[in-house]
Amino acid sequence: MIAYNSTWLDALLTRDTAHKWHHKGLLSDEQWKQVQERYQAPFYTPNVFVRIGLAFFCMILLSAAIGLFMLFTGADSDGGIAALSIFFGLLSLAALELWAIGSARHFGSGVDDMLLYFAISVILTGLCSQLPYNTDTLVYYCIALPFLLAASIRYLDRLLAAATFICMLMILLLAVNNIPRLALYLLPFSGMLFSAGAYFFAQKGQLRYAWRHWHRQLVVVEMLALATFYMSGNYWIVQQAGAELFQLEQVPMADFFWLFTFIVPVAYILIGLFKKDRLMMDIGLGCIAAAVFTFRYFFHVMPLEWAAVIGGAVLFATAYFSIQYLRKHEGTYTYAADGDITLLQEIEEQLIEQTIASQNPPTTGDKNTFGGGEFGGGGAGGEF
Amino acid sequence: MHPPILQNLLQQEIITPEDAAKIDIFEAKKPFSLHWELKSLLYLGVILLNIGLGFLIYQNIDSIGHIALIALIGVISAVCLIYAIRHRPPFSAGASESPPPYYDYILLLGCLTFLIMEGYWQFQYQIFGTRYGLATFIPMVLFFGLGYWLDNRGVLSLGITALASWVGITVTPQELLSKNDFNSATIVQTGVLLAALLTLVPFVSERLNFKKHFSLTYLNFAVHIGMISCLAGMMALDLEVLYFPLLCGAVGFYLWYARTRGSFYFLTVAVVYGYIGITYMLITHTDSLNLDFMFYLLYFVLSCTGVIFFLINYKRFIKNDAP
Repeated sequence: MIAYNSTWLDALLTRDTAHKWHHKGLLSDEQWKQVQERYQAPFYTPNVFVRIGLAFFCMILLSAAIGLFMLFTGADSDGGIAALSIFFGLLSLAALELWAIGSARHFGSGVDDMLLYFAISVILTGLCSQLPYNTDTLVYYCIALPFLLAASIRYLDRLLAAATFICMLMILLLAVNNIPRLALYLLPFSGMLFSAGAYFFAQKGQLRYAWRHWHRQLVVVEMLALATFYMSGNYWIVQQAGAELFQLEQVPMADFFWLFTFIVPVAYILIGLFKKDRLMMDIGLGCIAAAVFTFRYFFHVMPLEWAAVIGGAVLFATAYFSIQYLRKHEGTYTYAADGDITLLQEIEEQLIEQTIASQNPPTTGDKNTFGGGEFGGGGAGGEF
Repeated sequence: MHPPILQNLLQQEIITPEDAAKIDIFEAKKPFSLHWELKSLLYLGVILLNIGLGFLIYQNIDSIGHIALIALIGVISAVCLIYAIRHRPPFSAGASESPPPYYDYILLLGCLTFLIMEGYWQFQYQIFGTRYGLATFIPMVLFFGLGYWLDNRGVLSLGITALASWVGITVTPQELLSKNDFNSATIVQTGVLLAALLTLVPFVSERLNFKKHFSLTYLNFAVHIGMISCLAGMMALDLEVLYFPLLCGAVGFYLWYARTRGSFYFLTVAVVYGYIGITYMLITHTDSLNLDFMFYLLYFVLSCTGVIFFLINYKRFIKNDAP
């Protein structure tokens, strides 16, 4: 199902995790060396600058190559060009599978990324150019969806995963928009429902060990789902969509959408804090900004400069006092960039106590009771 | 996601059950760092506050008066710089140990407000008159001095920028006043010379073993100023005879640097600039031959294939033991 060698992907995952542990001092240099020897992933994954350079040259190469291809074959009809585009897209896919991933063992090298993007866009352009001029937009999205979905699953690509999510959402919204009379009421709620579904799907998916290789794609989906959930109910977006699609001055249920505009960001931040979910909290912070802009768009309560001064002062004070508070109260939340070091010492002490107390080294059986019993209830405190 | 990995490492007998227990507790009790979020909020707050206050002052400038304003900005700048100097890390020829939090930002704020104050002075009272060179020379000296003394790369970058504008301004005004147009030849020549100078500095400081960690800052400015000047010389001045060999030399130099120091950044940058130069030469010099469009497409296909293979295999070519 995955184009890349999954044993190597596993080895990479283990190495990355072990590297983090080694960095924190949980693994000794000796152990880290052993991990490196035991788990080898002979992928070609260059430095990020080389990756950008490779992608850049690969793009020029492919564009010139498709031009040459068209000139050589001398296609002159629309249908001929479309067929050749699709054929060329398949050729690049073959190059990706057989050469880049197969023999050259590329993984995130810029070459494999670009080959994939180019193949997908050329195939989709070829297919869509054959549709009649007045085709519904919905049809384009429906054609693109299977390609995007299959490619993001097979090639573990985050950009295509994001494209798949947006494509699905657009299909749903365009379909709902075609329902007579009810569309106005259903549109925001279908967006929310879809986003919520995608969010829970991504959350559950990240916990599944069998889906470990898709972890980063699912994180992208989760992030987008949180954003689109808020966007579906944001008053400014609902109002603009109402004016655009239905020529409405005032949307129905305005109060609900105003409430939604302000409550959801706060809820995101609070839930993010309690569940230690950084993604949700950060998106919540972004949504607060969106809520403020939405409010200012409709109500000009004070001049911009005063708003900036007061807003800035409030932000500054909040951040400053939170930092002061966290400095004094170390615990579940911390201001330290790398707050794990103190915890490490604490664990060290606990372990020493434990071993001295029991007078024999803990066995595997000990481990479970130890980890679960003593520290299991440590969760989030109620400081916030 | 970590338990299966831990299990796996246990089975491979790389770690002992004791280590596994340690890691388990660690993963369960990891504190949640709000560092990034709170810091962003703090800076966002400061920026908003500054924008708002700036606007307010701008609107009420009649009632406040210029002197008071300049004094205020000057005081801010002085306070920041004095703080930075008093809390400076002990001086060393190498990299200093990390200073307290906010230190970098206070220092940068001091430097930027100094620039604003100077600009205000010049704008309102023309204290430098038309001697613009002096106006950039003073901050240049200040920033270079502070950058080296307080060991700060951000301030050093400001200093290099001031140096570039000082050099640029010193060579242009006469031309500008006499012919009323920018003589770009002087600017391009200055750019090349400045880049050469900036490239030289890291090697001298490495020889003297003094502030070696500033090398990247210098070279980053040097590579872009130098290559863009060469390309400008080729394209705008039509002096390919002079600037194309210069560009080739610069590309060769940075490839050599990338190889010996294991720097992928300079490798990619040099390859991209070199490719642009060579492609430009090819296109302008085959213009009169009326070649088929296909020739150019073929050129792109073949050259890009070559570059891609070069970049891929350069990994084996680059020295791994480089620092």
